[in-house]
This record gives sequence, structure tokens and C-alpha cells, in this order.
Amino acid sequence: MAYIWLRGHRPECQPPASNAIASHQRPHLIERFNEGAKRRVHSLQEFFVLGGKAIGFAFSRPFYRADLIQQMDSIGVQSLPIVLLTGFFTGMVLALQSSVQLKTFGATMYIGRLVAASMIRELGPVLAGLMVAGRVGSGIAAQLGSMRVTEQIDALNTLGTDPIRKLVTPRVLAALIMVPALTVINDFAGIFGGSIISSAYVGIPTSLYWRTVFEQIAADGFIFRYIPTDFIQGLIKPFVFGAIISLVGCNFGLKTTGGTEGVGVATTRTVVTASILLLVVDYFITQILLAVFAS
Amino acid sequence: MTDNPEGRRGSDDRRQAPTDGPVAPNTPIRRPSDDLRVRAAIRNELATDRPIEPGELPALVNERTAENVIALDHVSLAFDEPILSDVSFTALAGETIVVAGESGTGKSTILKLLLRLLVPDKGTVFIDDEEITELNFPDALKVRQKMGMVFQGAALFDSMTVFENIAYPLREHTTLDEDEIEARVREKLSFVDLDPDRVMEQLPSDLSGGMRKRVGVARGMANNPKIMLYDEPTSGLDPLTTATITHLIIKLQRELAVTSVVVTHDIRSAFRMASKIAVLAEKRIVFFGTPEEMSASDDKYLRDFLGGF
Ligand SMILES: Nc1ncnc2c1ncn2[C@@H]1O[C@H](COP(=O)(O)OP(=O)(O)O)[C@@H](O)[C@H]1O
Ligand SMILES: [Mg+2]
Repeated sequence: MAYIWLRGHRPECQPPASNAIASHQRPHLIERFNEGAKRRVHSLQEFFVLGGKAIGFAFSRPFYRADLIQQMDSIGVQSLPIVLLTGFFTGMVLALQSSVQLKTFGATMYIGRLVAASMIRELGPVLAGLMVAGRVGSGIAAQLGSMRVTEQIDALNTLGTDPIRKLVTPRVLAALIMVPALTVINDFAGIFGGSIISSAYVGIPTSLYWRTVFEQIAADGFIFRYIPTDFIQGLIKPFVFGAIISLVGCNFGLKTTGGTEGVGVATTRTVVTASILLLVVDYFITQILLAVFAS
Repeated sequence: MTDNPEGRRGSDDRRQAPTDGPVAPNTPIRRPSDDLRVRAAIRNELATDRPIEPGELPALVNERTAENVIALDHVSLAFDEPILSDVSFTALAGETIVVAGESGTGKSTILKLLLRLLVPDKGTVFIDDEEITELNFPDALKVRQKMGMVFQGAALFDSMTVFENIAYPLREHTTLDEDEIEARVREKLSFVDLDPDRVMEQLPSDLSGGMRKRVGVARGMANNPKIMLYDEPTSGLDPLTTATITHLIIKLQRELAVTSVVVTHDIRSAFRMASKIAVLAEKRIVFFGTPEEMSASDDKYLRDFLGGF
């Protein structure tokens, strides 16, 4: 259908599909159901095609380096404050809560281990991911959406640029690089927040706290001799999250219809879809990684 | 703007203007900006409002020798519902085809078909006798280089300056060096009667609607395309700016002999620039002919359509 064509996700060389049922013919219920299912499968397929193209374009010329740097700035550097802040407070509250629990076992000296493990494996990636989904995913959708409705996407096409190459590839690459980086920063901020609480309220000396942190990091062993397995977990996740956030934002942005109102819809959808997808995928990655590292 | 390289013209203007006070020696002679001059000229033209002689404006096209530059051949297209069904028309080299019709009838869709941003469900689109319907992306790009498109809302890239906007197609499509690009950008800005030094570094958001449209025209023609497409170039503009833009389109077709397709609501400017008018209604082209044929027609729909303006 031409509709899909205009959205720019179809491989350019394919002729338009001619067997699509035109909805004006008012198909029967089952056909309509089929149609809905087909459309859903199709949009999922489009999503993966978009991802494939975006990554593929990273390896061929022309490459829009200035756009990549600009996106790394707006996705990464500008997210720094919120990531630092959320990490810091999460670490503090984590230390506070676990001190209560650990006290009943007389094990408050393990606070560092607990904070480090939770931050690096789970909370760091997920929190950074959710923050970036809210701040960056919505921004991407709004920007590309308004470019779509003001015909700037068509203009790019007309003036000789594949919009995916120019707009999607830099955003996806920037997210793939910056979300893991933000996650590491988030982890550090959290562990640092934990150290403040444990020395101020729980009475654990800072040196002991940090020693337990490093014990925890070393506890699960190393991969390639130097890389703690915890880090692998903690970095695979944000890498995947970066891909999810940027692609969902680009996808909804590019598919925007219906003027300025449509831009709002695309933005909201992006944040909701990306956040849910992120949490679901997080679960499955965790399960897979646990299975892999347990063996 | 204050420095005047061709001082002669400026001082002539000055001499003719009796209300101006004496010019202090050594002060650079100011001449009204290009913008104002053009507007004044158009205001004059509007004031006299002389009738347009048939065939005066469009470059005269010899129907026998001119080749088809644009052809739509039995094109049908449906989105959620059918938009165009069995639409055909051709444009000969140098002609200006005006596509008129109520909103939502698929006028912009026709332009997007010509640019191969859309692909018809049925039928074929030819540009320069080349079928563009089945082209892959790189080949489609080559065809698009022959065309300059002026989008309805100008569609300027709002993160780039005016200069970068106009330089964009040059950077993408040509191997011009920076100096040549700057020279070309200046040339195009002057062509659309904007002062390069004043607007080049501005962002599109700093410009008025009419100026944005003109930058859009400059960007569209930056590559020196042989085909220009305009999507409602005058909609939403005040009468004076409308006249400026119409003037500009006519200037382009006259001085550069480009083949154009203009989508418009504005039947008055349509009559001023059209070689042929195509009226789109009910998914089809219900009329295709010269402005004279159109005004001579006693078809009820056409009369209503003309009366509506
Ligand atoms: N990408 C699209 N997807 C679905 N419907 C579209 C799309 N583009 C245009 N349409 C519909 O096609 C019709 C014609 O649109 P358009 O060519 O923009 O009309 P016009 O320019 O004559 O006002 C409208 O009803 C519009 O809603
Ligand atoms: Mg339109």
C-alpha cells in the first residue's frame, strides 16, 4: 500500500504490494481481523527493517558525522544531570532501606555489596534507560514527527538524502554509545550515594564500604581475565535499551500523521512503548544472562 | 545594503524621488532594499491591473517540436480510500501546468508522484521520457535532481540557517567547492529578491512566511533543475506577497525556461502563469486545457469553480 511507502520504511526497490485489501470495501469481520493482524505484523516488520537499515547505513558513505556528534551531545551529555541525580538518590535510598533489613541480621557491613550489585546489574541500566526513554525518546519522536508533518522529511528525500541515513542512523548510533556510558555514570552516582548514607547514618566507614563494593564486583569472577561479569550484564542491557529507545522514537516520529496533534501522539506512544519494551526486554536479558553465567 | 556597488542606479532612483532631502556628501547612498523595490513594482502592476494578453506570460511552446518532460499515464492511487483514479496529463518542455482543485482532492499527491516519493498503484509516471515508477533509491535520486520542489509550508530545515538550507542540495548532489556554493547561494537569493547578506545566517524561524517561501524557491532552484514543482506557493500569504511569489514563478519560467507544475487554489495567479490548467475533482482530471479554453467553457462545474474564486 502506498501509505507504507510514503512512510519511507519500505525497501525502495520493491514494487508496491497490490494484494492489500482496500478498507473502503468494508471487509467481513474475519477479514478485518486478519487485516488488523497483518498490519501489526507488518509494522513490526517495518520496525526491524528500519533498525536494519539504520545500522547498515553506519557502514557506508555518505556518513553524517556532524549529526552523530550533535546527537551524542543531545542524547548523552545533556542527559547527564538527570542521570546523575536519579542515580545518586536511588543509591541513597537503597542504602537506607537495606541498612534496615541488614541490621536485623547484624550484617550492615554488607551494605556496599548490596548497593553495588543492585545498581550495576539492575537499577543502573533500567533507571538510566527509563530516564533516557522519557527525555530522549520523546525528543526524537517530537523532532522527527514535526519534520514529517512540515514535510521536511519529504524535502530531505527530494534533495537527495535518505532520511533514515541522515536522521535515524546518527540517533541510533549515538544512543548505542551514550546509553551504556550514562549507565556507568548512573552506577557510580548510585554507589557514591550509598557510601554517603552508609557512613553518615549507618556508621560504616567509607573504606569498608568501598572494599565491599569491590569485593562484590570481583565476586562473580571475570571474563577475559579483567572484565568482571557483572559489568557484562550491566553493559549489554543499556546497549539494547539504547537501540530500543532510539528506534521506537524514530519509528513513531517518522510515521507521524495528522499535524501537530499527531506529533503529541507520537511522543506519548514512544515513551509508553519504549518504557514497557525496556522492562520486558530487561527481564528476558536477565534470564538469559543468568543462565549463561550460571553454567 | 548600505554599500552600493552600482551607485548609478541608486543615484538615479534618488533623483527621481522628490520628497528626499539633500544627500550629505560622503554618506553612502542608501537605496531601498531589493525587497521594497520589487514590492513597489508589483504594487504598480497591481494598480494598473492590465489584462493579460493570451500567451503573453508563459514562454511560447511549440507543441509540435517540444518534447514531453512530464507525463502521468493512467495513474491510480489509493491510501485508505482511492485518491486518484486514471489520471493522465503531460507537460511539454517550457510549459507551466497549473493543477487546481478543492483541498483534499490529491493535488499534493500528484507532486509527490512526480518526485517518486509515492508510487502509483496503477499507471506510470514519466520524467524526460524515463519511467520512474520502478526506480530504486539511487536512480530515483538522479531523477529528483532534475526537479526542484517548493513545499507548501516551505519545509525549510529548521535546524539549519538559510545558507545551509540552500546549500543543502548543492552539497548532496554536486562537487562544487565552498566558494562556488556560496556564490550559487547568493545568486539564488538575489534571484528571489532577498538580500543575501541580510538573510543568509538567519534561521528559518526568524523569517516571515513570504520570505520563507522565497527561500524555499531558492532552495528548490539551487541545482538549476529543468523542472520546478510548487505546492500551493501562495496559500496563506497576503495579496502583496502572493503577487511577489507569482511574479517570481513567472520570472523563473521566462528567464530560465523551466517546465513547471504549480498546485494552487489561487485561480487569479493560475490564469497569469498557466500554459495549461488541470482541474482535479472526484479523483479525476475533469478539465485540461489553456486558460482561454477554461474561461470559454460553459461546463457547469468549471463555471462554479471559477465563480468560487
Ligand atoms: N500519507 C498519506 N496517508 C494517508 N492518506 C493520505 C496521505 N497523504 C494524503 N492522504 C490523503 O489523501 C488526500 C489527498 O491529499 P493531498 O494530495 O494532500 O490533497 P490536496 O493537496 O489536494 O489538498 C487527503 O484526503 C489526505 O488525507
Ligand atoms: Mg496539498
